[in-house]
Amino acid sequence: MKISRRDFLKGTATSLFLAGFNFPVLASTSKKKNLIVIMLRGGMDGLCAVPVIGDKRFEKIRKGILIENPMKLDSDFALHPKLKGFSECWHDNTGAIVHAASIPYTARSHFEGQNLMESGGRVPYQEKTGWLGRGMKLANLKGEGLALSLPMPLLLRGVPKNDNYYPADGRLPRDETLELLKSVYADSSEEELLDMMNFIKKRKNEQMGTGVGYDKRKNKNLAMRAGQLLSNPNGPRVAVFEVNGFDTHAAQGGINGTHTKCLVEMDTIIQNLKISKKTYENSIILTVTEFGRTIKKNGGNGTEHGYGTAVFLAGGLVKKSQVHTDWPGLKRKELFEGRDLNATIDARSVYASAMSTVFDLDFNRIEKEVFFGDKLQNLSDKLFKA
Amino acid sequence: MKNFFRKVAFGLKPDEKAPSDPLIWAQKQVESIPEFNWKGKHIYSEKEMRKYWITQRVEENTTLRKKYKNDPEGFRRAERKLEADTGKHLWPANELCIRHAEGLRSEHPVLAKLWYFWGNHFTISDTQTLGSYSTGAYQREFLRANMDKNFEVMATEATLAWPMIMHLDNKDNIGPKSESGRSEWRIRKKRPATLNENHARELMELHTISPEAGYTQEDVIELAKIMTGWRPDWSERKDHGNDVGFESDKHEPGKKRVLGKEYKSGRKGIKLAIKDLVNHPSCRNFIATKLCRYLITDEPTPQMIAPVVKAWEQSDGFLPEVHKAAIKVAFEYNDKYRKFQNPENWWLTTINMSGSTYSYPVREKLIDSHPLGIKPFGEISEQAWFLKDLGCHPYRQKQPNGFSDLEKDWLSTELIIRRIMFAKTAFHKFSTQDMLDDNIHEKIIRNNFDNPDKILKIVSKAKTNEEKHIILFNLPEVLKA
Repeated sequence: MKISRRDFLKGTATSLFLAGFNFPVLASTSKKKNLIVIMLRGGMDGLCAVPVIGDKRFEKIRKGILIENPMKLDSDFALHPKLKGFSECWHDNTGAIVHAASIPYTARSHFEGQNLMESGGRVPYQEKTGWLGRGMKLANLKGEGLALSLPMPLLLRGVPKNDNYYPADGRLPRDETLELLKSVYADSSEEELLDMMNFIKKRKNEQMGTGVGYDKRKNKNLAMRAGQLLSNPNGPRVAVFEVNGFDTHAAQGGINGTHTKCLVEMDTIIQNLKISKKTYENSIILTVTEFGRTIKKNGGNGTEHGYGTAVFLAGGLVKKSQVHTDWPGLKRKELFEGRDLNATIDARSVYASAMSTVFDLDFNRIEKEVFFGDKLQNLSDKLFKA
Repeated sequence: MKNFFRKVAFGLKPDEKAPSDPLIWAQKQVESIPEFNWKGKHIYSEKEMRKYWITQRVEENTTLRKKYKNDPEGFRRAERKLEADTGKHLWPANELCIRHAEGLRSEHPVLAKLWYFWGNHFTISDTQTLGSYSTGAYQREFLRANMDKNFEVMATEATLAWPMIMHLDNKDNIGPKSESGRSEWRIRKKRPATLNENHARELMELHTISPEAGYTQEDVIELAKIMTGWRPDWSERKDHGNDVGFESDKHEPGKKRVLGKEYKSGRKGIKLAIKDLVNHPSCRNFIATKLCRYLITDEPTPQMIAPVVKAWEQSDGFLPEVHKAAIKVAFEYNDKYRKFQNPENWWLTTINMSGSTYSYPVREKLIDSHPLGIKPFGEISEQAWFLKDLGCHPYRQKQPNGFSDLEKDWLSTELIIRRIMFAKTAFHKFSTQDMLDDNIHEKIIRNNFDNPDKILKIVSKAKTNEEKHIILFNLPEVLKA
């Protein structure tokens, strides 16, 4: 790795694969555009997923957990070779990475960090809503959010009537019973329970989920279902997934390790969303995580909580395949507190730009009303299609 | 007033006589720690349970991996057999029975509900198969057994408990300047000793003083240094299943400084550090707030928290006094505040108010007669599945901060679908006679509500007894105690 801080701000696009692959031109307002967020809980190691190439020092201190034979993305970065789904996106010019990015949080606690990656604020536990929920509210998108998990994540809160999908076993009771319950909630002004009963009544007419038992609740199958639902013109426009287990203090492992397993789960979500062509073409898929991990491997073949990490972007609304970064370098003095990849891009700039693109909102309004007036960088033109 | 029984316990059974003085009734239950209600033969210590963990771990990692290195299918088969032989699914089912029998069949459901609180406070998250073998025993031995002592005792024992050291990686927390850290083989094998901050951070953030105390990254590192060397030794025969002890050769030498206070090098450091953490004002504030949030409301007021903090100060963190104070506050604010019940507590309330505690949890003889070597099925395995599907299995927390106590975190379409489905499941826990009893809902309602006629009127609109069950246990009055 020869590049160091601010050597390049240009995206390092590969124009090789551009030819002959064109998605239909999207009309900016008439088409339904979707935003899909994959939350990577536990602290995703951006340097495991997207390692730098040719940095001897990096290779040395990561020996034992270094990913071998990564797929070269450009002259400076490579991709974890098990990320087959994302590499396809890269090849068809719809996969990008924003590297050395993070939410502006440096205290290294998962719980505070995850709270902030969802709330979009600066003070842990202060905000009771999520940046995505507030963005949807600004765009007046009520009842268009879908969580692919059992609980409703903080990320989506702030706009009413969100739904979730995580199919149960068994059959719901008769309509009359559901109707009765609904009237009870209406009489006792339980607004949220009432909203949910409306979804449940609709759910009644659908399958409780395809596949049997456990399997139907796995992310790969939830992604298939989300793909279908999002492709419906009247369906949700926002979907949120969760992948757990990135906190690999021990036995992070190399190519077949625990961190890889989690990355592959993320990759499969992207891959399966892509099966629904209509959804994929009109979407931005982006990942969020609370922090990256230390450069240095610890004695247990794991890594500690760090700071800077990578954001994955995929979907037809991604401008081009590129690693967009303002690379801070990995020399000791270039590291954050001498131990972590620094973050030179506020990840919230990426979130705000994605929302600006998908929700057709003015970037400055998002900055002001969703992110409390914090100064963010408008990356819409660089990363996404107008 | 009757919702108080749902707030601090699990409501009243249809034929249970309401205590004449609810406050005294509740407070008396937390004064001492009685024997378990569950009379099954498998009540093992954490150390005894660890033997199964060791067998599973060592066999799988050494014998099976070698034997089936080119046969993944054979490996999977042998692994399943090994899991059955070591009770990977039987033991957590057994532990759930012990746990739920306390809430449903004992004379001290209030103590049980607070025990569940501590299990969640000192969470062992679902890693390294600890939930299958160890978490249940740990919650009995290090948490419940210490509920009649000072918080310092509980915090110290929980911190040094084997499952806690394992799941927060303190076994990998080795002083770089320690004797072991400097040893020649580490250089030769390129296995440098490093600090692992995970446990130190959670000890402060989640277990004692919370971030409100304003500690820094430097404090975390220094506390991690104090904790170096507290680990189970690794051996070929037991993997990491040896007892947790202090290995002085892995302890970082030199003085450490946490929150401005200096600690000498050595084995005494951790206990002294915990002593200071539990006596920090932020610790009592944090735990008093959490207790009020668990029992009373999502947003406890300073007026609610103050008496609990005061009880803590006056008793030096003596848990029975702290619990009594929290119960008293819950009693005083009973009519004004309603607390949304997490899925596990709601499920137990549903079973208890129904009076179907004769069939849930399953009986001792069913568990006792189930042989190791056969994966549990039917009613035994069903219990764990209920909790998992409700999103609230007490040995399967995804993160060390445990399950949320906030209503918002338990409200979603799918979670409400689960409540509807599981109210139905609860009905099928009835004997045929009770299922056919057309007066059963009236009995339940009259015994559990201050306004039975209104509730009865609503529930009577449902046609079948099963549907009445679904409506009753999903009423706002039951979802929120």
